[in-house]
Amino acid sequence: MKVLLIEDEKELSNSISDYLQNENYLCETVFDFVQAIEKINLYHYDCIIVDISLPDGSGLNLIRILKENKSETGIIIISARNSLDDKITGLEIGADDYLTKPFHLPELNARIKSIIRRRNFGGVNEISFNDIQVLPDQMEVSVKGQPLALTKKEYDLFVFFLANRDRVLTREAIAEHLWGDEMDMADSFDFIYTHIKNLRKKIIEKGGEDYIKTIYGMGYKFTDQ
Amino acid sequence: MKLLTRTSRSYIYVSVVVFIISGLIFFNILHDIFKRQLDETLIEEQLLIEQTINYSDSVPDFRLVFGHMIDVTILNAPQSKAGYIRDTLMYDDNLGTFASFRHLFAENTSIRNKGYTINIYKPLRDSEKLIAEIVISLALVFICLLLILVVVNYFITRRVWIPFYRILQNLSQYDVNLASPLEVTKTDIYEFVLLNQAFEKMSKKIRLDFMNLKEFNENAAHELQTPLAIIKSKLELLIQKENLDENQLQLVSAVFEATTRMSKLIQGLLLISKIENNQFIQTEEVDLGFMLDKTIGHFEEMIRHRGITVSKDYQQAALPRMNPVLAEIFITNLISNAIRHNINQGRIDLLVQYNSITITNTGQVLKTDPHNLFERFRKSENLPDSVGLGLSIVQKIAILYKIRVEYLHHEGLHTLMVTFQ
Repeated sequence: MKVLLIEDEKELSNSISDYLQNENYLCETVFDFVQAIEKINLYHYDCIIVDISLPDGSGLNLIRILKENKSETGIIIISARNSLDDKITGLEIGADDYLTKPFHLPELNARIKSIIRRRNFGGVNEISFNDIQVLPDQMEVSVKGQPLALTKKEYDLFVFFLANRDRVLTREAIAEHLWGDEMDMADSFDFIYTHIKNLRKKIIEKGGEDYIKTIYGMGYKFTDQ
Repeated sequence: MKLLTRTSRSYIYVSVVVFIISGLIFFNILHDIFKRQLDETLIEEQLLIEQTINYSDSVPDFRLVFGHMIDVTILNAPQSKAGYIRDTLMYDDNLGTFASFRHLFAENTSIRNKGYTINIYKPLRDSEKLIAEIVISLALVFICLLLILVVVNYFITRRVWIPFYRILQNLSQYDVNLASPLEVTKTDIYEFVLLNQAFEKMSKKIRLDFMNLKEFNENAAHELQTPLAIIKSKLELLIQKENLDENQLQLVSAVFEATTRMSKLIQGLLLISKIENNQFIQTEEVDLGFMLDKTIGHFEEMIRHRGITVSKDYQQAALPRMNPVLAEIFITNLISNAIRHNINQGRIDLLVQYNSITITNTGQVLKTDPHNLFERFRKSENLPDSVGLGLSIVQKIAILYKIRVEYLHHEGLHTLMVTFQ
């Protein structure tokens, strides 16, 4: 999987590519508009992450150029401006997703995975992990072949975990993934705790293994190690 | 009190006082003049009578000559020269009552060594009448003059102050948020021209400062997001390290939470400034009942988790014109507020009418003054970690759309009533 990251803030760019490389993506980074044009004309990427405000041009124009070239690449906009207009314009001209800075790296990762999965036209849209299978199109989860009845939020949480295997997910990242920024963090933490407790119970009931580890005071980790 | 009323009133007060004082002085002078004239006539008459006495020692009937009361007595013994003129009260036959008279008394000795006394009484009635007539006509003239002055002054002042009131009106309508500059009033009165210029200069300066400040705030907030994003991303990478012990994780966790709070705070403040700057222009009819259902659905699991019962009473559809994004934020903040400050196994009652929605929730008794509820950074003691901008954002949206938000509290039941125009 090849990902192109267009972000002028070098430290942020480093963090993102660092996180994504651990996911076995080949992550290339460029820091301005001109370099980005060169890259997208030369190579094919599965996903492009683009900052709207680049020092020498608008990320929106990059998207326009990509779309003119009939590129099938998935596009995620990252922007410091939580502007509805930018969001609408971005999605209208063909971006797949829009993230406002500051965002959580697992969130970006989950969104990249979701976009790449959706674009994988030929293959079966399926996430599997040991004895667990998820069919995202049907929103179905099964453990050892047995269907698992999950609520909408439990399903979202589960897929979020699967997208960030072997990674520590903070409670903040989970809360924001489930409720967006409308929620004050303080009161969602103990709710996340109950959610995860239920999720564990349901998986164990179906004979599955408990992959969710609690990282004390920090969050959770989905791992089989 | 209006300026015009004030000046007119002072004008009248001063004029009346001046008139009374000058009237009294005038009356006295007039009175003196008449008295002196009367006295002169009396002395002339006395001289004439004395001449007659000196000539013949007889006393003719002067009453017929002068037409008023004269009493002359011839005495055998000589008299020393004496006399006075004074006012006296006497019975007036003609009037049948007592009246004021000017009385001349004189005694002397004639050439032929005979004493005589002269008493002349001249009625003051006529001169008093004259004085009264003069004073009355003068007062009439004065009152007319005063009326004319007041009326003229009223109209002139009203005309003169027109530009002033226009300037005042323009000032009160001036909104620093709007792009339109302060309207300039046309006037040729020097003072108002100066006033105009001063206000124009001031409004331009205020607008410029305001815009700069706004721009600075927004830029600062945006620029803060990037370093925050870097901090957050680095922390997220840090916690993935396998060799961190529990203590170190705790430290990172605390930094992480603080960073998240900070970015939420900035987002909230940015939202407030966007609402204040009227950056949500597009409006449409928003079905608030539908939006309430959607929000309740969004928080459904949290509501269930806390054992809260939600009851709905949608009587009519509430369809105010609002920006859909703001409407969603408005409703979400109200509902999340009702959940957050609720008690476990509590209740939320939703009532929707065509021009209002009412959200009632069970909760602990409010310890702070309910008037401070909508202030920025007002936090519940039970939830010290919350950002404290939720209701403040609600209020900003309410102000934008002229929505009235009322808070009522009754025995552990908190009610927020939202009424649209």
